[in-house]
Amino acid sequence: MSNSSSIKNKVEKKKKQDAKQYNRHTLKILKGNFAAAEGAKLCRTGFIPAYPITPQTTIVEALSDMVGRGEMDATFINMDSEHSVFAAAMGASLAGERVFTATSGQGLFYAHEVLHAIAHFRLPIVICNVGRPSIPWNIWSDQTDSLSQRDTGWVQFYGESSQEVLDDIIQGYFIAEKLDLPVMIVLDAFYQSHTSENVWVPDINLIDEFLPAKEKTGSEIDVSNPKSYGGLIPTEHYEKFNIKFWQDINKVEDLTNEIGKKFGDLFGREYSAVEAVNIKPETKMILVTLSSITTTARGVLKQHPEVGLLKLRLFKPFPKKSVLKILNHVSNNCIIVNIERNFLGDNEGAIMHEMKRALYGSSFKMYDVYTGLGGKDVPPSTIEKIIRKTFNAPEDVVWIDFE
Amino acid sequence: MEPSNKFLIQEEEVYSGALSCRGCGWALLVRHLSSILGKETVYVVPASCFSIIAGPYPMNELRGTIVHTIFAAAPATATGIRTALDRQGKKDVIVAVLAGDGGTFDIGFQSLSGAATRGENILYVCNNNGAYMNTGIQTSTATPYGAVTTTNPNSNIKKTWPKDLMGIIAAHNIPYAATASLAFMEDLRMKVKKAKETEGFRLLMIDGPCPPGHKTEPDKSIYVARQAVESKLFPLYEVEHHNYRINYFPSEYVPVKECLRVQGRFKHLFKDDSEEILNDIQQHTNDYWDRLRLLESHSFQVKN
Ligand SMILES: Cc1ncc(C[n+]2csc(CCOP(=O)(O)OP(=O)(O)O)c2C)c(N)n1
Ligand code: SF4
Ligand SMILES: [Mg+2]
Repeated sequence: MSNSSSIKNKVEKKKKQDAKQYNRHTLKILKGNFAAAEGAKLCRTGFIPAYPITPQTTIVEALSDMVGRGEMDATFINMDSEHSVFAAAMGASLAGERVFTATSGQGLFYAHEVLHAIAHFRLPIVICNVGRPSIPWNIWSDQTDSLSQRDTGWVQFYGESSQEVLDDIIQGYFIAEKLDLPVMIVLDAFYQSHTSENVWVPDINLIDEFLPAKEKTGSEIDVSNPKSYGGLIPTEHYEKFNIKFWQDINKVEDLTNEIGKKFGDLFGREYSAVEAVNIKPETKMILVTLSSITTTARGVLKQHPEVGLLKLRLFKPFPKKSVLKILNHVSNNCIIVNIERNFLGDNEGAIMHEMKRALYGSSFKMYDVYTGLGGKDVPPSTIEKIIRKTFNAPEDVVWIDFE
Repeated sequence: MEPSNKFLIQEEEVYSGALSCRGCGWALLVRHLSSILGKETVYVVPASCFSIIAGPYPMNELRGTIVHTIFAAAPATATGIRTALDRQGKKDVIVAVLAGDGGTFDIGFQSLSGAATRGENILYVCNNNGAYMNTGIQTSTATPYGAVTTTNPNSNIKKTWPKDLMGIIAAHNIPYAATASLAFMEDLRMKVKKAKETEGFRLLMIDGPCPPGHKTEPDKSIYVARQAVESKLFPLYEVEHHNYRINYFPSEYVPVKECLRVQGRFKHLFKDDSEEILNDIQQHTNDYWDRLRLLESHSFQVKN
């Protein structure tokens, strides 16, 4: 296979990473789904409504086991559907509990109505979504599910590694509870969910220093202080809720960067809304990626000093400021290539939509590449192909493995 | 019974100014219900006429807490609230769902079955007015045979029997389910109290008058509700686990016709060739009553 050199690179990098020791952590070998379950446990979530769907299922199975063993003080309930899962999550969160659940593909699509309700009830729920597409049946890696829910009002993070998924859940609760917004942590099916990696699991006292117990906001259900939630809103009042939402969603990017740094100080791993890899003023091409494709691209970059990588960790709200800040220093001749593992029924994919909105008025030439849909492998050779194709015979939109 | 000069409601737990039509079952039901459940109750309300009656933001007709939720998932929303309250040590707070027949028989059916099967400690109240009234009188699976709605107009009247929700809910083996009528207020209040004191999943099915939907005069609401019980179209009974108890045995035979005649939604059945449909409804009603009697007698056999 042509990717042996990049595998070697990966191993080297992994070795280096493993050499790093984190204080007040335990090194475990965990599949992505188990890292997610660990994250939910560490954050002391109190309620987990659940419904099975591949490839998410092992997350809720693990949580049920943790509850059963008394490792976490939470209520676990097997619900009758994802619609009910999210409605129950909504009810418990309205009453002030810290809530977690996980879903995937059809489950997320099915919950669509409730996703809107949760966001606009301003409930700080955190979930994991393990990405997979819709009909015809396909259970493999694809981001169409979560990206199609980008307009529901949920904050979305895409984790590159199991470590990042765990760390994102912790930071997710911080952001959610600070701004009263729900947060969705997305991981790739199988490549992450069912693949074992080294994960540094923080000690609980470290979590407690970073994420305080859920504080009361005064908006919770409290029978001694009766309130009405969600009643019909006359037109003259409706907008004020949206404006408040808009003001708060606009704070997410800065807060992500701010607490990503604070997280780094405390845990030793720093995060930001986006990450620039090998982006210099003279960079000729920038690949824009989400989740595990980023890791593959990192390896390929070693052979392409002229190519940079822009990893979007925060996707919704789109981190426009951070993206512009990075691209400000780059020559206008640099071309931008968005790598899409999603299909939203439009000419261009979700990343291209957002990048075009963010870069409106700039003169970067931008291309869109569909790849890896329905779980198709995106090996280093595909990334090489993307680079070659875009340098030599670029097309506005291309399905790279269908030439 | 001695006539009483005592008001049934000692303390009102609703504010004045409910936004219902005149003669609406919802408004009267919730007045009585809340007077028994008290202020420290969380009402969970899926889309229905009561969503409107309860008042627009920032108003609340109820003195208690109200959570307006999505149409299909009131029992699931209530499950989450119940869980949170239990975790916070507030086990005594009643969580009550107030849903219409559409929200119960149709779109919320799965969520209802889930909560009932899990034995959630929730009081579920269905105001069954036999159609989607809030959206303007469309057919639900609770709509009676032979009725006219906007989706079963005169040219195409409803010719399927309503779903036997009480039978289905009884099959869930819950501690308490009962039917109740606004024309039999003491019976209704007794059942609300009983449901309040029972732990686990409880369901009350109320026959809900609706003048615009049933094409009746507002001052006939209680009369129609009484005729429904007297004609056995809406028998009053309780189910505890699998044990049935009939609460009211009409002393005189009242044919179903007498109850249907006063409702404009059945007007067409009283023109020429509709005798057969009326007979079918009478037969179906007799059969249901006979089945209830059998279930009741069997229940006592099981008990003894
Ligand atoms: C998912 C969804 N579909 C449709 C509606 C529209 N809708 C709102 S209230 C209502 C009718 C409710 O009927 P019912 O439950 O019988 O209560 P009623 O209004 O008769 O009291 C409908 C169809 C909705 N709110 N949500
Ligand atoms: S339409 Fe019927 S149920 Fe709705 S408020 Fe009017 S009377 Fe009540
Ligand atoms: Mg109705």
